[in-house]
Amino acid sequence: MSILQLTPEEMAALWLSAKVAFFCTLLILIPGVLLGWVLARKRFFGKALLDSVVHLPLVLPPVVPGFLLLLLLGNQGFLGKWLQDTFGISIAFTWMGAVVASAIMALPLMVRSARLAVSQVDRGLELAAQSLGAHPLRVFFSITLPLALPGILTGMVLAFSRSLGEFGATITFVGNIEGETRTLPLAIYTYTQIPGGDVPALRLVVLSLLLAFAALYFSNIMEQRALRRIGSGDDRA
Amino acid sequence: MIELDFALRRGEFATRVNVTLDDRVTGVFGPSGAGKTTLLGTLAGLVKPDAGRLVVDGEYLLDTERGIDQPLHKRRIGMVFQDSRLFPHLTVSRNLEYGYHRLTREQRRFSLTQIVELLELGPLLRQKPYQLSGGQRQRVALGRALLSSPRLLLLDEPMASLDVRLKMQILPFMQRVRDEIDIPMLYVSHAIDEVLQLTSRMLVLEHGQVIGYGDFVDVMRDTQVLALARSLGMENVLQVELLSHHHAEGYSVAKLGAQSLFIPLSARELGERITISTAASNIALAREPVAGISIQNQLPGTLGQMRQVDHRMLVDVVLDAHTLVAEVSEKSVQDLALSPGMKVHALIKTQALHLYGQAL
Repeated sequence: MSILQLTPEEMAALWLSAKVAFFCTLLILIPGVLLGWVLARKRFFGKALLDSVVHLPLVLPPVVPGFLLLLLLGNQGFLGKWLQDTFGISIAFTWMGAVVASAIMALPLMVRSARLAVSQVDRGLELAAQSLGAHPLRVFFSITLPLALPGILTGMVLAFSRSLGEFGATITFVGNIEGETRTLPLAIYTYTQIPGGDVPALRLVVLSLLLAFAALYFSNIMEQRALRRIGSGDDRA
Repeated sequence: MIELDFALRRGEFATRVNVTLDDRVTGVFGPSGAGKTTLLGTLAGLVKPDAGRLVVDGEYLLDTERGIDQPLHKRRIGMVFQDSRLFPHLTVSRNLEYGYHRLTREQRRFSLTQIVELLELGPLLRQKPYQLSGGQRQRVALGRALLSSPRLLLLDEPMASLDVRLKMQILPFMQRVRDEIDIPMLYVSHAIDEVLQLTSRMLVLEHGQVIGYGDFVDVMRDTQVLALARSLGMENVLQVELLSHHHAEGYSVAKLGAQSLFIPLSARELGERITISTAASNIALAREPVAGISIQNQLPGTLGQMRQVDHRMLVDVVLDAHTLVAEVSEKSVQDLALSPGMKVHALIKTQALHLYGQAL
């Protein structure tokens, strides 16, 4: 077997990581943009509190949110029990749980990017659009969102990459089950714990590097394209 | 008809406006901080006054007593801003259609082609805003506002960011809009000459108050307004009485205090008082009367206050009944040893005197 050939277990870890990262990004896209918009544009009581809560996962050891998730959404947890009893759904120790864990960890990155992107959209343009008779909702979708798109794309890539790299919250909340919750970082960790696991670990490390690089490269291209549409890309700088 | 009656206080700034405008085009003039932006903002719905009423053609946009306050997007007030505010991600044609699309056929007052022709936007339609010059942008912004079929058009310093050459290019379009589009307009500017190219009807604001409304010449008679114009760098605004016309030579003679002044040929009657102005930089100083020079006006006076503003020296020349402000270089001040109390002659070219209230 070639040294570059992935074993079925490694393939499973790769696909699982991609799946979790994809659904994680999808899950936080809308809440992330909305939170970013609210934090950038609105003033309300408790804004500082909301801001802190959203950003908490950035500064906490990842095992803390993981443990809290376990308490809340675990099979004996308050929400977990309710989900189980009402819908028959259990997400603890499943790949969906991994999605939730990495979503919590990636949300602040999405929110930060969206917030920055929205705050850089000229308020004057939104007011001009309203003076032309557009309802604020239409203004959001036709002006604010397209102009904030480059920043939102960046946020998506950051969230995707963060999810690929998520370790602590995942292993705490959903464990390390092969084929179900053993994502790339968990697989690497597992290989380093067994004798002779260095070669497969290294293979997965290289794979992780490639994946992260591809995501960043793709985001750069998308961002440049989006910026060019509004005439402020690097080619004009 | 636009009824404005509102009061607003924000910290130190307080404004109280009560005026009914009944002109097609009204110039709104005043220094920064006078309340021009607040006035426009209040009309557009960006600023909430503490109390008041706004009525445009019989429809209430705001009435704090009755709890009426139409949101910005329902007021149908078109705005053209100094910075054009074209949507950077849309082409010119999509920008133009932004407000237009949403209207029903009956609500549309103009067709797209009509406005495109009026403002000569045809060649620009497929371009993006960043590809346009400043003047072109303002034309698109004007067209976009018109196509939203507003009941009132607010122009907020639309030419302030353009240089003189671009202003001259866009002015004919502004005049075209004034002549061919039946929408009342408020044209805000701190440049009175610019406003006068479009209308002689003027609303003058200072410190949040209306200090004059009416025809420019009448408004300018008001000492409060005259003082304001001075403070704005229209340093020399003078009222003179016409003494004689010299049609063949193309000049008139006017009385300024006890002195005579040669001015460009005026269209007004002899004996009328007219307003003229000139910038301080148009006035030169000489210590003695100068012979063999083309400059007709040499007014004897006494040097008054001298003050430095940036790299300019502004010098008061006290005449018998007026005070002129002249701008001289620091070097001239040294070379001529200028000091307060000195007798000088103020030299002003006839053509450097600007006549207001002529046929504009």
